[in-house]
Amino acid sequence: MAWIAERRRRSRFESVVLPHLDAAYALARWLTRNDADAADVVQEAMLRAFRYFDTYREGDAKSWILRIVRRTCYSWLERNRPAEVVPLDEEEVIDEEVSIAPVAALNTEALLQNRSDLRRLDVLIEALPPPLREAIVLRELQELGYREIAEVTGVPIGTVMSRLHRARSALRRAWEGKDIGDAV
Amino acid sequence: MRCDEVRPRLEAYVDGELAEAERVQMRDHLADCPKCGPETAALERLREGIRQSAPIYRAPEALRSRVRFALRREAAEGARAARRAPGWLAYAASILLAVAVGSGGTLLITGERQEDAVANELIDSHLRSLLGSHLTDVASSDQHTVKPWFAGRSEMSPPAVDLAPEGFPLVGGRLDLIAGKPVPALVYRRREHVINVFVLPASRGDLGVNLTRRGYTLRHWDEGDLGFWAVSDAAPTELAEFERVFRATTSG
Repeated sequence: MAWIAERRRRSRFESVVLPHLDAAYALARWLTRNDADAADVVQEAMLRAFRYFDTYREGDAKSWILRIVRRTCYSWLERNRPAEVVPLDEEEVIDEEVSIAPVAALNTEALLQNRSDLRRLDVLIEALPPPLREAIVLRELQELGYREIAEVTGVPIGTVMSRLHRARSALRRAWEGKDIGDAV
Repeated sequence: MRCDEVRPRLEAYVDGELAEAERVQMRDHLADCPKCGPETAALERLREGIRQSAPIYRAPEALRSRVRFALRREAAEGARAARRAPGWLAYAASILLAVAVGSGGTLLITGERQEDAVANELIDSHLRSLLGSHLTDVASSDQHTVKPWFAGRSEMSPPAVDLAPEGFPLVGGRLDLIAGKPVPALVYRRREHVINVFVLPASRGDLGVNLTRRGYTLRHWDEGDLGFWAVSDAAPTELAEFERVFRATTSG
Protein backbone atom coordinates (compact mmCIF):
# COMPACT_ATOMS: atom_id res chain seq x y z
CA MET A 1 0.00 0.00 0.00
CA ALA A 2 1.24 3.45 -0.87
CA TRP A 3 0.73 4.68 2.62
CA ILE A 4 2.78 1.92 4.15
CA ALA A 5 5.49 2.37 1.55
CA GLU A 6 5.66 6.10 2.25
CA ARG A 7 5.87 5.44 5.92
CA ARG A 8 8.67 2.96 5.43
CA ARG A 9 10.49 5.47 3.27
CA ARG A 10 10.04 8.13 5.90
CA SER A 11 11.28 6.00 8.73
CA ARG A 12 14.30 4.97 6.70
CA PHE A 13 14.97 8.61 5.93
CA GLU A 14 14.64 9.49 9.58
CA SER A 15 17.11 6.84 10.64
CA VAL A 16 19.63 7.58 7.87
CA VAL A 17 19.46 11.36 7.63
CA LEU A 18 18.13 12.79 10.89
CA PRO A 19 21.22 11.75 12.89
CA HIS A 20 22.97 14.47 10.88
CA LEU A 21 20.49 17.18 11.76
CA ASP A 22 22.95 18.89 14.11
CA ALA A 23 25.63 18.97 11.42
CA ALA A 24 23.08 20.26 8.93
CA TYR A 25 22.00 23.00 11.29
CA ALA A 26 25.57 23.97 12.13
CA LEU A 27 26.47 24.40 8.47
CA ALA A 28 23.32 26.40 7.79
CA ARG A 29 23.94 28.49 10.88
CA TRP A 30 27.47 29.36 9.76
CA LEU A 31 26.31 30.23 6.28
CA THR A 32 23.25 32.26 7.23
CA ARG A 33 24.70 33.58 10.52
CA ASN A 34 21.29 33.59 12.06
CA ASP A 35 19.33 31.05 14.14
CA ALA A 36 15.89 31.48 12.60
CA ASP A 37 17.16 31.56 9.03
CA ALA A 38 19.26 28.47 9.64
CA ALA A 39 16.22 26.62 10.95
CA ASP A 40 14.14 27.60 7.92
CA VAL A 41 16.86 26.55 5.54
CA VAL A 42 17.37 23.21 7.27
CA GLN A 43 13.68 22.41 7.20
CA GLU A 44 13.51 23.24 3.50
CA ALA A 45 16.64 21.19 2.84
CA MET A 46 15.29 18.19 4.71
CA LEU A 47 12.12 18.19 2.67
CA ARG A 48 14.10 18.53 -0.50
CA ALA A 49 16.32 15.66 0.58
CA PHE A 50 13.29 13.54 1.38
CA ARG A 51 11.91 14.11 -2.09
CA TYR A 52 15.20 13.06 -3.64
CA PHE A 53 15.80 10.28 -1.16
CA ASP A 54 15.49 7.70 -3.89
CA THR A 55 18.64 9.11 -5.44
CA TYR A 56 20.56 8.45 -2.26
CA ARG A 57 22.60 5.28 -2.48
CA GLU A 58 24.23 3.60 0.44
CA GLY A 59 27.21 5.65 1.34
CA ASP A 60 28.13 8.78 3.15
CA ALA A 61 24.80 10.15 4.35
CA LYS A 62 26.43 13.09 6.08
CA SER A 63 28.09 14.40 2.93
CA TRP A 64 24.90 13.76 1.00
CA ILE A 65 22.69 15.79 3.32
CA LEU A 66 25.26 18.54 3.86
CA ARG A 67 25.50 18.99 0.13
CA ILE A 68 21.75 19.53 -0.07
CA VAL A 69 21.78 21.84 2.93
CA ARG A 70 24.57 23.86 1.40
CA ARG A 71 22.75 24.23 -1.90
CA THR A 72 19.59 25.24 -0.12
CA CYS A 73 21.58 27.81 1.86
CA TYR A 74 22.97 29.37 -1.27
CA SER A 75 19.66 29.61 -3.03
CA TRP A 76 18.19 31.05 0.15
CA LEU A 77 21.00 33.62 0.33
CA GLU A 78 20.53 34.49 -3.33
CA ARG A 79 16.86 35.14 -2.69
CA ASN A 80 17.24 37.00 0.57
CA ARG A 81 20.73 38.48 0.75
CA PRO A 82 22.13 38.57 -2.78
CA ALA A 83 24.93 40.91 -1.73
CA GLU A 84 26.54 38.14 0.28
CA VAL A 85 26.84 35.71 -2.59
CA VAL A 86 29.56 37.34 -4.62
CA PRO A 87 31.81 34.88 -6.38
CA LEU A 88 35.45 34.71 -5.35
CA ASP A 89 37.72 36.80 -7.56
CA GLU A 90 39.39 33.79 -9.01
CA GLU A 91 39.64 30.21 -8.07
CA GLU A 92 42.93 28.55 -8.46
CA VAL A 93 44.14 25.13 -7.75
CA ILE A 94 46.65 25.11 -5.01
CA ASP A 95 50.29 25.37 -5.85
CA GLU A 96 53.34 26.95 -4.38
CA GLU A 97 52.54 30.40 -5.69
CA VAL A 98 49.25 30.81 -3.91
CA SER A 99 49.59 33.94 -1.89
CA ILE A 100 46.65 36.12 -2.74
CA ALA A 101 46.48 39.12 -0.45
CA PRO A 102 44.85 37.19 2.37
CA VAL A 103 43.25 40.01 4.31
CA ALA A 104 41.30 40.96 1.22
CA ALA A 105 39.39 37.76 1.81
CA LEU A 106 37.98 39.14 5.03
CA ASN A 107 35.14 41.56 5.02
CA THR A 108 37.03 43.84 7.35
CA GLU A 109 34.87 46.84 6.66
CA ALA A 110 31.82 45.11 8.03
CA LEU A 111 33.84 43.87 10.96
CA LEU A 112 34.99 47.33 11.88
CA GLN A 113 31.53 48.78 11.45
CA ASN A 114 30.21 46.27 13.91
CA ARG A 115 33.11 47.08 16.17
CA SER A 116 33.74 43.38 16.31
CA ASP A 117 36.55 41.93 18.31
CA LEU A 118 39.14 41.03 15.72
CA ARG A 119 40.84 38.67 18.09
CA ARG A 120 37.82 36.42 18.16
CA LEU A 121 38.21 33.68 15.63
CA ASP A 122 34.50 32.96 15.45
CA VAL A 123 33.91 36.57 14.42
CA LEU A 124 36.68 36.34 11.86
CA ILE A 125 35.25 33.13 10.40
CA GLU A 126 31.89 34.81 9.96
CA ALA A 127 33.62 37.58 8.04
CA LEU A 128 35.04 35.16 5.48
CA PRO A 129 33.22 34.97 2.14
CA PRO A 130 30.92 31.92 2.10
CA PRO A 131 33.13 29.62 -0.04
CA LEU A 132 36.08 30.08 2.31
CA ARG A 133 33.87 30.04 5.39
CA GLU A 134 32.23 26.75 4.51
CA ALA A 135 35.58 25.14 3.72
CA ILE A 136 37.03 26.05 7.09
CA VAL A 137 33.86 25.13 8.97
CA LEU A 138 33.59 21.75 7.28
CA ARG A 139 37.24 21.01 7.90
CA GLU A 140 37.83 22.32 11.41
CA LEU A 141 34.43 22.04 13.01
CA GLN A 142 32.74 19.20 11.15
CA GLU A 143 36.09 17.48 10.74
CA LEU A 144 35.50 16.37 7.18
CA GLY A 145 38.36 15.26 4.96
CA TYR A 146 39.24 16.95 1.67
CA ARG A 147 37.35 14.39 -0.38
CA GLU A 148 34.19 14.88 1.65
CA ILE A 149 34.47 18.66 1.53
CA ALA A 150 34.89 18.42 -2.23
CA GLU A 151 31.77 16.30 -2.38
CA VAL A 152 29.72 18.65 -0.22
CA THR A 153 30.82 21.81 -2.00
CA GLY A 154 30.92 20.34 -5.49
CA VAL A 155 34.44 21.45 -6.40
CA PRO A 156 37.67 19.55 -7.11
CA ILE A 157 39.95 18.64 -4.21
CA GLY A 158 42.55 21.11 -5.45
CA THR A 159 40.04 23.91 -5.05
CA VAL A 160 39.21 22.73 -1.56
CA MET A 161 42.89 22.93 -0.64
CA SER A 162 43.20 26.34 -2.18
CA ARG A 163 40.18 27.63 -0.30
CA LEU A 164 41.38 26.23 2.99
CA HIS A 165 44.72 27.87 2.42
CA ARG A 166 43.16 31.23 1.67
CA ALA A 167 40.85 30.98 4.63
CA ARG A 168 43.66 30.08 7.00
CA SER A 169 45.97 32.76 5.70
CA ALA A 170 43.27 35.38 6.16
CA LEU A 171 42.41 34.17 9.64
CA ARG A 172 46.03 34.02 10.73
CA ARG A 173 46.82 37.47 9.42
CA ALA A 174 44.00 39.00 11.36
CA TRP A 175 44.26 36.86 14.46
CA GLU A 176 48.00 36.52 14.99
CA GLY A 177 48.69 40.05 13.82
CA LYS A 178 46.35 41.34 16.45
CA ASP A 179 47.70 39.07 19.13
CA ILE A 180 51.29 39.93 18.47
CA GLY A 181 50.48 43.63 18.35
CA ASP A 182 48.81 43.42 21.74
CA ALA A 183 51.55 41.40 23.33
CA VAL A 184 54.34 43.73 22.35
CA MET B 1 62.92 16.59 2.09
CA ARG B 2 63.67 20.21 1.44
CA CYS B 3 61.69 23.16 2.75
CA ASP B 4 60.33 24.02 -0.69
CA GLU B 5 58.95 20.50 -0.96
CA VAL B 6 57.52 20.62 2.53
CA ARG B 7 55.76 23.98 2.46
CA PRO B 8 53.05 23.19 -0.13
CA ARG B 9 52.19 20.04 1.78
CA LEU B 10 52.15 21.56 5.24
CA GLU B 11 48.40 22.02 5.49
CA ALA B 12 47.71 18.61 4.02
CA TYR B 13 50.04 17.25 6.68
CA VAL B 14 48.25 19.07 9.49
CA ASP B 15 44.93 17.94 8.01
CA GLY B 16 46.04 14.32 8.04
CA GLU B 17 45.63 13.98 4.30
CA LEU B 18 49.06 12.61 3.40
CA ALA B 19 49.96 9.03 2.69
CA GLU B 20 51.89 7.35 5.46
CA ALA B 21 55.33 7.36 3.79
CA GLU B 22 55.06 11.05 2.98
CA ARG B 23 53.77 11.83 6.43
CA VAL B 24 56.81 10.23 8.05
CA GLN B 25 59.20 12.15 5.79
CA MET B 26 57.39 15.37 6.64
CA ARG B 27 57.48 14.65 10.33
CA ASP B 28 61.23 14.09 10.27
CA HIS B 29 61.79 17.35 8.47
CA LEU B 30 59.52 19.31 10.78
CA ALA B 31 61.27 18.01 13.86
CA ASP B 32 64.53 19.64 12.76
CA CYS B 33 63.61 22.58 10.57
CA PRO B 34 63.64 25.94 12.42
CA LYS B 35 61.28 27.46 9.87
CA CYS B 36 58.82 24.74 8.96
CA GLY B 37 58.48 23.48 12.53
CA PRO B 38 57.09 26.74 13.96
CA GLU B 39 54.94 27.20 10.87
CA THR B 40 53.31 23.86 11.60
CA ALA B 41 52.84 24.84 15.22
CA ALA B 42 51.14 28.05 14.09
CA LEU B 43 48.70 26.09 11.94
CA GLU B 44 47.93 23.82 14.84
CA ARG B 45 47.42 26.82 17.12
CA LEU B 46 44.96 28.25 14.64
CA ARG B 47 43.02 25.00 14.60
CA GLU B 48 42.98 24.89 18.38
CA GLY B 49 41.89 28.52 18.49
CA ILE B 50 39.05 27.89 16.07
CA ARG B 51 37.78 24.89 17.96
CA GLN B 52 37.87 26.76 21.22
CA SER B 53 36.25 29.97 20.12
CA ALA B 54 33.67 28.71 17.65
CA PRO B 55 30.26 28.03 19.15
CA ILE B 56 28.95 24.51 18.74
CA TYR B 57 25.63 24.83 16.99
CA ARG B 58 23.05 22.14 17.60
CA ALA B 59 19.65 21.83 16.01
CA PRO B 60 17.07 23.20 18.46
CA GLU B 61 14.46 20.70 19.67
CA ALA B 62 11.73 22.77 18.05
CA LEU B 63 13.41 22.38 14.67
CA ARG B 64 13.66 18.63 15.16
CA SER B 65 9.91 18.45 15.76
CA ARG B 66 9.19 20.77 12.87
CA VAL B 67 11.23 18.64 10.52
CA ARG B 68 9.59 15.43 11.64
CA PHE B 69 6.18 16.99 11.21
CA ALA B 70 7.03 18.31 7.76
CA LEU B 71 8.32 14.90 6.73
CA ARG B 72 5.18 13.26 7.92
CA ARG B 73 3.03 15.63 5.94
CA GLU B 74 5.24 15.18 2.92
CA ALA B 75 5.06 11.40 3.21
CA ALA B 76 1.28 11.60 3.51
CA GLU B 77 1.11 13.73 0.40
CA GLY B 78 3.38 11.32 -1.39
CA ALA B 79 1.04 8.50 -0.53
CA ARG B 80 -1.93 10.50 -1.80
CA ALA B 81 -0.08 11.32 -4.97
CA ALA B 82 0.15 7.60 -5.55
CA ARG B 83 -3.64 7.80 -5.78
CA ARG B 84 -4.15 5.12 -3.26
CA ALA B 85 -4.84 7.25 -0.27
CA PRO B 86 -5.71 5.04 2.64
CA GLY B 87 -8.61 7.09 3.88
CA TRP B 88 -9.79 6.90 7.39
CA LEU B 89 -10.49 3.24 7.30
CA ALA B 90 -6.86 2.26 7.02
CA TYR B 91 -5.80 4.73 9.62
CA ALA B 92 -8.47 3.63 12.02
CA ALA B 93 -7.52 0.06 11.26
CA SER B 94 -3.92 0.75 12.12
CA ILE B 95 -4.99 2.21 15.41
CA LEU B 96 -7.28 -0.68 16.02
CA LEU B 97 -4.41 -2.98 15.28
CA ALA B 98 -2.23 -0.96 17.61
CA VAL B 99 -4.77 -1.34 20.33
CA ALA B 100 -5.45 -4.97 19.61
CA VAL B 101 -1.82 -5.93 19.70
CA GLY B 102 -1.99 -5.59 23.43
CA SER B 103 -4.69 -7.56 25.16
CA GLY B 104 -8.19 -6.43 26.05
CA GLY B 105 -9.20 -4.06 28.76
CA THR B 106 -6.83 -1.35 29.87
CA LEU B 107 -3.57 -1.86 28.13
CA LEU B 108 -0.09 -0.94 28.95
CA ILE B 109 1.63 -1.08 25.61
CA THR B 110 5.36 -1.36 25.53
CA GLY B 111 7.94 -1.14 22.87
CA GLU B 112 5.95 -2.33 19.86
CA ARG B 113 6.60 -0.38 16.73
CA GLN B 114 3.12 0.03 15.38
CA GLU B 115 1.68 1.41 18.59
CA ASP B 116 4.67 3.61 19.04
CA ALA B 117 4.11 5.10 15.64
CA VAL B 118 0.55 6.08 16.52
CA ALA B 119 1.46 7.24 20.01
CA ASN B 120 4.39 9.18 18.63
CA GLU B 121 2.26 10.92 16.04
CA LEU B 122 -0.14 12.09 18.69
CA ILE B 123 2.56 13.05 21.16
CA ASP B 124 4.40 14.96 18.44
CA SER B 125 1.20 16.81 17.66
CA HIS B 126 0.78 17.55 21.33
CA LEU B 127 4.36 18.84 21.55
CA ARG B 128 3.94 21.00 18.50
CA SER B 129 0.88 22.56 20.01
CA LEU B 130 2.95 23.65 23.00
CA LEU B 131 5.70 25.14 20.88
CA GLY B 132 5.28 28.60 19.57
CA SER B 133 1.94 30.25 19.36
CA HIS B 134 -0.27 27.65 17.82
CA LEU B 135 -2.08 26.06 20.74
CA THR B 136 -5.50 26.92 19.41
CA ASP B 137 -7.07 27.92 16.11
CA VAL B 138 -10.20 28.99 17.89
CA ALA B 139 -9.71 30.22 21.44
CA SER B 140 -12.86 29.96 23.45
CA SER B 141 -14.31 28.20 26.44
CA ASP B 142 -17.73 28.34 24.82
CA GLN B 143 -18.81 25.09 23.21
CA HIS B 144 -21.17 27.01 20.95
CA THR B 145 -18.13 28.71 19.48
CA VAL B 146 -15.75 25.78 19.37
CA LYS B 147 -18.02 23.07 18.05
CA PRO B 148 -19.31 24.98 15.00
CA TRP B 149 -15.77 26.05 14.16
CA PHE B 150 -14.91 22.47 13.31
CA ALA B 151 -17.90 22.08 11.01
CA GLY B 152 -16.73 22.10 7.43
CA ARG B 153 -13.13 21.83 8.49
CA SER B 154 -13.22 18.22 9.50
CA GLU B 155 -15.30 15.13 8.97
CA MET B 156 -15.67 14.89 12.71
CA SER B 157 -17.81 16.99 14.95
CA PRO B 158 -16.44 16.66 18.44
CA PRO B 159 -18.42 17.56 21.54
CA ALA B 160 -16.65 20.63 22.94
CA VAL B 161 -17.77 20.81 26.53
CA ASP B 162 -16.24 23.14 29.05
CA LEU B 163 -15.16 21.25 32.14
CA ALA B 164 -14.03 24.25 34.18
CA PRO B 165 -16.21 23.30 37.15
CA GLU B 166 -14.39 19.97 37.28
CA GLY B 167 -11.01 21.67 37.10
CA PHE B 168 -10.45 21.23 33.36
CA PRO B 169 -11.31 24.51 31.63
CA LEU B 170 -11.76 24.35 27.85
CA VAL B 171 -9.23 26.60 26.15
CA GLY B 172 -10.28 26.15 22.55
CA GLY B 173 -9.93 23.99 19.49
CA ARG B 174 -7.35 23.36 16.84
CA LEU B 175 -7.03 21.44 13.61
CA ASP B 176 -3.93 19.25 13.33
CA LEU B 177 -2.65 17.29 10.42
CA ILE B 178 -2.11 13.66 11.33
CA ALA B 179 -1.30 11.07 8.69
CA GLY B 180 -2.25 13.74 6.18
CA LYS B 181 -5.74 14.17 7.54
CA PRO B 182 -7.15 17.14 9.42
CA VAL B 183 -7.85 16.02 12.94
CA PRO B 184 -9.79 18.13 15.44
CA ALA B 185 -8.07 18.66 18.75
CA LEU B 186 -9.84 20.00 21.81
CA VAL B 187 -7.59 21.88 24.16
CA TYR B 188 -8.04 21.81 27.91
CA ARG B 189 -5.99 23.00 30.79
CA ARG B 190 -5.25 21.41 34.11
CA ARG B 191 -3.47 24.08 36.10
CA GLU B 192 -0.22 24.60 34.19
CA HIS B 193 -0.68 21.47 32.07
CA VAL B 194 -2.24 21.36 28.64
CA ILE B 195 -4.42 18.45 27.64
CA ASN B 196 -4.96 17.84 23.94
CA VAL B 197 -7.87 15.63 23.01
CA PHE B 198 -7.54 14.39 19.44
CA VAL B 199 -10.73 13.20 17.85
CA LEU B 200 -10.51 10.36 15.35
CA PRO B 201 -12.99 7.84 14.07
CA ALA B 202 -13.83 5.24 16.68
CA SER B 203 -11.59 2.23 16.53
CA ARG B 204 -14.56 0.09 17.66
CA GLY B 205 -14.24 -2.26 20.51
CA ASP B 206 -13.79 0.59 22.98
CA LEU B 207 -10.57 -0.74 24.34
CA GLY B 208 -9.05 1.55 26.89
CA VAL B 209 -5.50 2.59 26.25
CA ASN B 210 -3.33 4.10 28.86
CA LEU B 211 0.29 4.46 28.05
CA THR B 212 3.21 6.66 28.84
CA ARG B 213 5.72 7.69 26.23
CA ARG B 214 8.58 10.15 26.54
CA GLY B 215 7.06 11.45 29.76
CA TYR B 216 3.62 12.04 28.25
CA THR B 217 0.51 10.14 29.10
CA LEU B 218 -1.92 9.05 26.44
CA ARG B 219 -5.43 7.73 27.03
CA HIS B 220 -7.87 6.47 24.47
CA TRP B 221 -11.55 5.73 24.57
CA ASP B 222 -14.42 5.49 22.12
CA GLU B 223 -17.73 7.24 22.41
CA GLY B 224 -20.26 6.38 19.71
CA ASP B 225 -18.48 6.63 16.39
CA LEU B 226 -15.79 8.93 17.72
CA GLY B 227 -12.47 7.87 19.19
CA PHE B 228 -10.86 10.19 21.72
CA TRP B 229 -7.13 10.35 22.34
CA ALA B 230 -6.09 12.52 25.25
CA VAL B 231 -2.41 13.47 25.54
CA SER B 232 -0.84 15.46 28.33
CA ASP B 233 2.13 15.86 30.60
CA ALA B 234 -0.25 15.98 33.53
CA ALA B 235 0.02 13.08 35.96
CA PRO B 236 -1.54 9.83 34.71
CA THR B 237 -4.07 9.95 37.58
CA GLU B 238 -5.15 13.42 36.50
CA LEU B 239 -5.61 12.33 32.93
CA ALA B 240 -7.67 9.38 34.17
CA GLU B 241 -9.81 11.83 36.11
CA PHE B 242 -10.12 13.96 32.98
CA GLU B 243 -11.34 10.98 30.99
CA ARG B 244 -13.90 10.21 33.68
CA VAL B 245 -15.43 13.70 33.81
CA PHE B 246 -15.25 14.14 30.03
CA ARG B 247 -17.11 10.90 29.43
CA ALA B 248 -19.58 11.60 32.19
CA THR B 249 -20.40 14.98 30.66
CA THR B 250 -20.46 14.05 27.00
CA SER B 251 -22.37 10.81 27.29
CA GLY B 252 -24.78 12.24 29.86
